[in-house]
Amino acid sequence: MVTPRTLPEALDDAAESDSGFSFQSGTAETSVSYEEIRRRSLQVARALKDAGLRRGDLAALVLPDGEQFLTALFGASIARLLPASVYPPATAADLPRYIELTAGILNAAEARAVVTTRTLAAAFADARAMCPHLSLVLCREDLDAAPDEPNDAPSPGDIAFVQYTSGSTSMPKGVALTHANLAANIDAFAGPSGVAVDADDVAVSWLPLNHDMGLVGMVLGALYTRRSCVLLTPQTFVKRPAEWLRAVTRHRGTISFAPSFAYDLCVRRVKDLAGLDLSSWRVAGCGAEPVHPAALAAFAEKFAPVGFRSTSFLPCYGLAEHVLAATFPPRDRGVRIECVAANELADRRVAVDADDSGGPSTALVSCGSVLPGHQLVVADEHGTALPERHVGEIRLAGPSVMVGYYKQGALTDEVIRDGWLRTGDLGYLSRGELFVCGRVRDLIIVHGRKYHPQDLEWAVDDVSGVRRGRVVAFGVESDGADRVVIVAEAGGTVASGLLVEEIRKRIGDLFGLYVDEVAVVPSGTVGRTTSGKVQRAATKERYVRGEWSVEGTRA
Amino acid sequence: MPQPASVPVEEGVIDVLKNVSRRPIEPALASDLVADLGFDSLQVLEVIAELEDRFDISIPLNDVPTTRTVGQVVAQVASLVAARPNA
Repeated sequence: MVTPRTLPEALDDAAESDSGFSFQSGTAETSVSYEEIRRRSLQVARALKDAGLRRGDLAALVLPDGEQFLTALFGASIARLLPASVYPPATAADLPRYIELTAGILNAAEARAVVTTRTLAAAFADARAMCPHLSLVLCREDLDAAPDEPNDAPSPGDIAFVQYTSGSTSMPKGVALTHANLAANIDAFAGPSGVAVDADDVAVSWLPLNHDMGLVGMVLGALYTRRSCVLLTPQTFVKRPAEWLRAVTRHRGTISFAPSFAYDLCVRRVKDLAGLDLSSWRVAGCGAEPVHPAALAAFAEKFAPVGFRSTSFLPCYGLAEHVLAATFPPRDRGVRIECVAANELADRRVAVDADDSGGPSTALVSCGSVLPGHQLVVADEHGTALPERHVGEIRLAGPSVMVGYYKQGALTDEVIRDGWLRTGDLGYLSRGELFVCGRVRDLIIVHGRKYHPQDLEWAVDDVSGVRRGRVVAFGVESDGADRVVIVAEAGGTVASGLLVEEIRKRIGDLFGLYVDEVAVVPSGTVGRTTSGKVQRAATKERYVRGEWSVEGTRA
Repeated sequence: MPQPASVPVEEGVIDVLKNVSRRPIEPALASDLVADLGFDSLQVLEVIAELEDRFDISIPLNDVPTTRTVGQVVAQVASLVAARPNA
């Protein structure tokens, strides 16, 4: 398979096929051919140039609608701008705070334009006062100039897009990927050692498009290989998980990826199996968060009567800083699980078969071996490769390693050294296959989305009654999922119950995230490092030891 | 199974909230779904799906929802029930 070298080239190729997108929202479905998607993208490209944007200008895309987002992304790429994807707000309840958070991203990215919905455009117009580089706030609806063919094209070494996860005023991390990065990763995961895309494949996805697995794994994977892709909105899936399975049934879907919570949600909430036929589903990928073997087993059992095969499961490992995929297991094998002694894993950082010790055990899932053309080592803190079954940091090298965090040289140097990407994830190798078992860094992962603790801390920093700069957020793993915890120093006379409520509201409004536990602690409790940062690890340790009483624990 | 319109909406909403929550809750009209009742964005959508089934209505999903308290949910459901074709 020859993968196109750049995004516009992929779109040109796909436009000559019979394939396209089907966009489904609720029960309504619209099919749009790649040819038509290309035409709309050319319209956007022309309109962006007409608005005064020039080669290399960064345009932040804040668009919840799939078709609008994708044509804006392709259009900006055709116009040789730098498209950046930025999360839309979870709710409209606190737009000023959302704009403030997003202004941090726009400033760090030196964004010249925001492309957004009419509803959000007014709010972003206010952001211009905070963002000296931002000269244009454009409504996607208005970008409909007459299409014309571009007279130049990006090179493989140019940045294709920048992907911002949750923002932070102090250090927004935008993953910058080149066209060459994209092509290398898609070529590897779509090829024979990955999902082995063939002529009959149809992709089905409900994943958000500002997420690597949704955008690169599903949409670009399909586009670059000229296969059709059915897109449900994340809300449609979460509201009615059966819609995902119905879409697979209706379109004879063959490839669909999701975090493991999605399989669990289907087990709990899909009541009626009538009319479902999952026999076409040959690759049921799982990634983006730790894979829970029990959730996959329950899904396979429940949906076997409608043709689902447990051998379709393909748990893999990857991260946005590596475009998407890093490791894949062999297809049609099913999930390989190792039961290891939990204490040995935690204390000695060695994976020992659980049968040999008799203590508590942990079931871990193989994510397979590294993709061809890429390198993976499990290393100790000095960077030395560890022997099999020893736990260390997963490090990756090869053509998929990102250029860096956009305009964040120091942050980039922390994670990429001598061409090796330090993933911050812990794992071990066993018979050449990777088992992921924890994290070095402070990321919190809920339902496949990564949250930086700094963002959550920043968001509640000015809640009335919270002592500024004395808030710590972290995740505590429980049953394989992260519980979100916030420890905040009280700085005034606000009752702690009210404070807990305000903190939850703030995080819910901005991120759509529920804070499982809030601990309000007395002034002076949260320590700081000599450089003035909160001591997150130390605070988490004290919390885990049970030093503080906790308000409102969700069972 | 759709219920007759005479079933008070408030009771129905509270019943749905209790069913979807994974812990015991006592929702009041002023309760905030996130801050007081502990619903995350996933569960809020589950609540919406359950309400649609129970009341035979279609609750529009805006890209940025503003509904936040139980009282707001009750008001929205009540107006949709009233606008239902055979209500």
